[in-house]
Amino acid sequence: MSPQLNADLIRTLSMTLLITTVAAVEVRNLRLAAGAYCVQALLIVGLLTSFAAANPPLYWWAGTAFLTKAVLTPAFLFGYIRRTHATELKPLIGFAPSVIVAAVLMVVFYRLTHTHASLLAATTLAGEEVYRTNLAVGTTVFVMGLYAVLTRRDAMKTVIGLCLLENGVHLSLVSLVPGLPETALFGVATEVVITVFLLLYVIAGVYQQFGTTDTLKMSELRG
Amino acid sequence: MNPLMGETVSLLPALAFLLPVLAGVLALGGIWYGRRYCQAVALAGALVPLVLGVIMGGQAVGGLVVTAWGNELRVDALSALMVGVIGAIGLVAVFYSLRYVEMPEFQQRVGVVKVERRVPIFYALLLWFLGTMVWGCVTNNIIMLWVAVEATTLTSGLLVAFFWDRRALEAGYKYLMLLTIGITFALVGCVLTYASAAATGALDGRQALLISEVRRVAGLMPPGPALLAAALLLVGFGTKAGIAPFHLWLPDAHAEAPTPVSVLLSGVMIKMALYALARTVGIFLPTWPALAVFAVALGVFTMVVGIVLALGQDDLKRLFAFSSVSQIGYVLAGVGLGTYLGTYGGLFHLLNHAIFKALLFMCAGALIYATGRRRISELGGLARQMPITAICFLVGALAISGFPPFNGFWSKLTVYLALVNAGLWWAAIIAAATSVLTMVALVRPAYQVFWAAPGSGAAVQKVREVPALLWLPMAVLAAACLVLGLWPQLAYPLLDRAAQVLAVLGG
Repeated sequence: MSPQLNADLIRTLSMTLLITTVAAVEVRNLRLAAGAYCVQALLIVGLLTSFAAANPPLYWWAGTAFLTKAVLTPAFLFGYIRRTHATELKPLIGFAPSVIVAAVLMVVFYRLTHTHASLLAATTLAGEEVYRTNLAVGTTVFVMGLYAVLTRRDAMKTVIGLCLLENGVHLSLVSLVPGLPETALFGVATEVVITVFLLLYVIAGVYQQFGTTDTLKMSELRG
Repeated sequence: MNPLMGETVSLLPALAFLLPVLAGVLALGGIWYGRRYCQAVALAGALVPLVLGVIMGGQAVGGLVVTAWGNELRVDALSALMVGVIGAIGLVAVFYSLRYVEMPEFQQRVGVVKVERRVPIFYALLLWFLGTMVWGCVTNNIIMLWVAVEATTLTSGLLVAFFWDRRALEAGYKYLMLLTIGITFALVGCVLTYASAAATGALDGRQALLISEVRRVAGLMPPGPALLAAALLLVGFGTKAGIAPFHLWLPDAHAEAPTPVSVLLSGVMIKMALYALARTVGIFLPTWPALAVFAVALGVFTMVVGIVLALGQDDLKRLFAFSSVSQIGYVLAGVGLGTYLGTYGGLFHLLNHAIFKALLFMCAGALIYATGRRRISELGGLARQMPITAICFLVGALAISGFPPFNGFWSKLTVYLALVNAGLWWAAIIAAATSVLTMVALVRPAYQVFWAAPGSGAAVQKVREVPALLWLPMAVLAAACLVLGLWPQLAYPLLDRAAQVLAVLGG
C-alpha cells in the first residue's frame, strides 16, 4: 500500500458509506432516503480525494463525482419528491425481513469480494489494502442497489437503487482501473446523471397519468 | 487486423454520427419554422449515415480501415456494414414518418393542440437516436462504446414514451429502467476488460481502451477477470439486444413506440447492441472457444422463447416484437459460433432481418392508419382494399420464415449449414424447427388479416389503401427482400469482409 494514503480515514469513510447505503434502501421517507444518498455521494467524493493523495488524477474524478452525484442527482431527486410524494409505497418485503436480507447480502458480498478480490481484479494493486476494502465496499453497494431495484415497488425507490448501482461501479473503478482517462470517466458520469434525470421525468409523467408510482399498478401492457 | 488491410485517416467516421446529431438540433427549429422544415432536415440528417456508410463500405471492400481521432474511431467492414444498415433503415423510417405524423392515431395520442410543437421534438429525438447508434458502431473505445449504447437507450426511451399516455409511459419507464440496469452490468464488463488488458503490460493505459488493440492481447489476460468480464458483457449488451431471458422490456417498447420508432428499435437498435456484444465478447472467443457453444445455446434458446411467445399474440406489433426476439437468436447463433460461415450467416441475417422486420412494422403501421386497429382478431379480408400492404406483408412474413426465393432463406440456410459444419446438429435442427413455427406465427396472421373472412370481432368499414408516402418505403423494402433473395451475392463483398472481422475460430 502506498504510504501516502490515510488507510484509517479511508476505512472509516467506507464503513460510513455502507451505513448510508442501508439508509437509502430501507428508509421509507423519501426525503431522508434521498438525503442518505446525498451523504453517500459526499463520502464518495471524500474517498476519491483520499485516494487522490497517491494518484492525483483522482482529484478530477472527485470533482466530477461532486458535481454529478452530490449536486445534480440529489437536486433531481428532491425536485421530483417535491412534485410528487414524500413517502415510499410499501415495499414487496417488510422492514424487518428486509433489513435482515440486506445485512446478509452485505456481509456475504463484502466477505466474498474482500477474500477473493483476484476474481474481480486483474492487477495486484486491487488485491492490496486499502484498495481491496474499497473494491469490497463498491461491490456491496452495487449488490444493495440491485436488491433495492428488485424488491421496491415505488418507482422513485428503484431510481435510488439504480443510483446505488452506479455508485458501486464508480467506487470500484478506483481499485480496478485507477488509470482510466478522465474523458472516459466524464462520459460515464454524464450519462448516469442524464439517465437519472430522464427516468425521473418519465416517472413524473407516470404519476400524472396513473396517480401513483406503484410499479405493480402499471399493468396496461400485460399479455 | 488482417495483414492485407491498410488504414486511412479520415473524418468520415466522425461526420457519420455528428451530422445526424447536429441535424437533430436543427430539427428543433421546426417549432418556429414548421413541420415541413423539420422533416426536410430529418431526411437530410438520416441520409448522411447511409451515404457515408456506403462510402466507407466501399473503402472496406477495397481493404481499407478508416480511422479518426487517433484510432478512437475506427470503421472496418463490420462497422461500415452497421453504419450502412442503420443509415438505410433510418432513412426509410424517416420517409415513412412524413405521412405517419399526420395520421389520426398519432395526432390523437399526441394531442391535436400540441402536435405542431411536438413533431420537431420527435424528429430531433429520431435523429439523435440514429446518431448515437452510428456512434456506437464507429467508436473503437470500449468505454465510449458503453456510453454510446446507453445514449441510444436515453434517446429512444423518450421516443418509446413519446405519446405520453398510460401505455406509452409504462412502456417508456420499463424500457429505461430495465435497460439501464442491464447495461450497468455491461459497464462493469467493459471496465474489467480494460483493466485486464492494461494488466497484461503489453498496452499502455490509452491503448487498453481501444478494442482493436485489446483483441491482440486477449490471450495474456488473467482468466478470472476476463471470463467475468465476458459474462457481464453478455448480460449487459444481451439485455439491450433482447436476448432471452433478458428480453422482458422488448415487447412493450417495440409495440408501444410510434411505428417509425418500432422500425428502428426492431430493425436496427437490437442489432447495434448485438454488434457491441460481438465486438466485446468476441475479444475473448479465440482464448476461450467454449464461449461459442454457450453463445449458440443462448441463441437457440432465444429463438425458441421468442417464437413460442409470438404464437400467442393477437396484437400485431407485439407479435412482431416477440418475433424480433426469436430472430435475434439466429443472428446470435451465427455470429456467436465464431466461424467464417457462422459469422457470414449471422451478419447476413442481421441485414435481412433489418429489412423484413422494418417492412412488417410498417405494414402494421399501415393497417393502423387505414383501420385504426392492430389486433388480428379485429381485422380480416383486407386484401382487396389494401392490395399493396397485403403483398408487402406477405413478402415480409415469407422472408422472415426463411421461405425461398426471399432473402431470409439464404441467411437462415447459411446459419444452419454453419451449425452443422461445427457439429452442432441439435442447434441446426432446433433452428430449422423454429423457422417452421415462424411461418405459422407470421404467415397465418397475414392470411387472417388480408384473405380470411372478417371474424366476429371485426368491425372495419370503408377501408382504403394507405397513401403512397406510406406504401412506397414498404414496397422498396419488399423489393429488397426479393432482390437479395434472387441475388444474394450482391451483399457478398461487404459481408465477406465483415465476416472476416468476427471469424476468429476455424471451421
